[in-house]
Amino acid sequence: MILIIGGSYQGKLDFARQRFQLAEDEIQVCTEDTGALDFSRRCIAYIDRFALNRVRSGFEPADALGTDPGLYKDVIFIANDVSGGVVPMDPTLRAWREACGRMNLKLAKASDEVWRLFCGIPQRVK
Amino acid sequence: MSTYISGGCKNGKSFYAQRAAKACGTPLYYLATMIPHDEEDLARIRRHREERAGWGFETLECGRDILRCLDDADPNGAFLLDSVTALLSNEMFAPEGVDMDAARRVADALEAFVRRAPNTVLVSDFIFSDALLYDDLTEAYRRGLAAIDRRMAACCDNVIEVVAGQFIVHKGVLPV
Repeated sequence: MILIIGGSYQGKLDFARQRFQLAEDEIQVCTEDTGALDFSRRCIAYIDRFALNRVRSGFEPADALGTDPGLYKDVIFIANDVSGGVVPMDPTLRAWREACGRMNLKLAKASDEVWRLFCGIPQRVK
Repeated sequence: MSTYISGGCKNGKSFYAQRAAKACGTPLYYLATMIPHDEEDLARIRRHREERAGWGFETLECGRDILRCLDDADPNGAFLLDSVTALLSNEMFAPEGVDMDAARRVADALEAFVRRAPNTVLVSDFIFSDALLYDDLTEAYRRGLAAIDRRMAACCDNVIEVVAGQFIVHKGVLPV
């Protein structure tokens, strides 16, 4: 299991495609409309967008990961790091920001590798 | 040696960039990218000029069209461009209208600049880690700045992230 994290547009998905030779149909690209994670894919990108969907629907995003990391032990997760700005005025965005942090911690803990992208340059942080 | 510096605001990027540029040789040029719009901007420019006084910089005004500065400068000198963020803003939100192609133009120009003037230090801003949903135009600006960052990180010798006055070397070495 691998987690790739970094700010917006830093080259996370490009890095994943290149390093792990992902085909497009092996990637679940989450949007604000994504309500469920597909652990049958090799890569789940933008789990922060999935988290936004869950928070808006009144659920804790990290609960979608369950208690058994074995279910997604071969998945490459990609997360936008949304933790570095001013606390949002909007209560939903505030809850989203914190929920992303909890989910990232859970994913990073279960991951064999954690990578951070900065200006397109990868750095292994775990 | 070219160096690309980014990080959050007020972390010490500009001060470090000045030291890095000064170590690159002479003549020493400061590429001033801010186009003042009001008294607040003018005060900020005065403050920056005072901070640079005594460092030996010759200031070249270049809010737009960065390559033109090289007409009046020695390309073997040392250049400090602070900041890429302001340069993109000037080019993208120009008085004649919004240019959605500005990021590509700026990245092309900066690549050409660094090729001709290899002793250049560039400062950008890391504005990519907050939990806000922006309007399309702001999002296009963020995407554009990140695209410039990635292209410049690929072509510069050193890529440094500044955090609370500390340095993370993502590529190359710490120049000073």
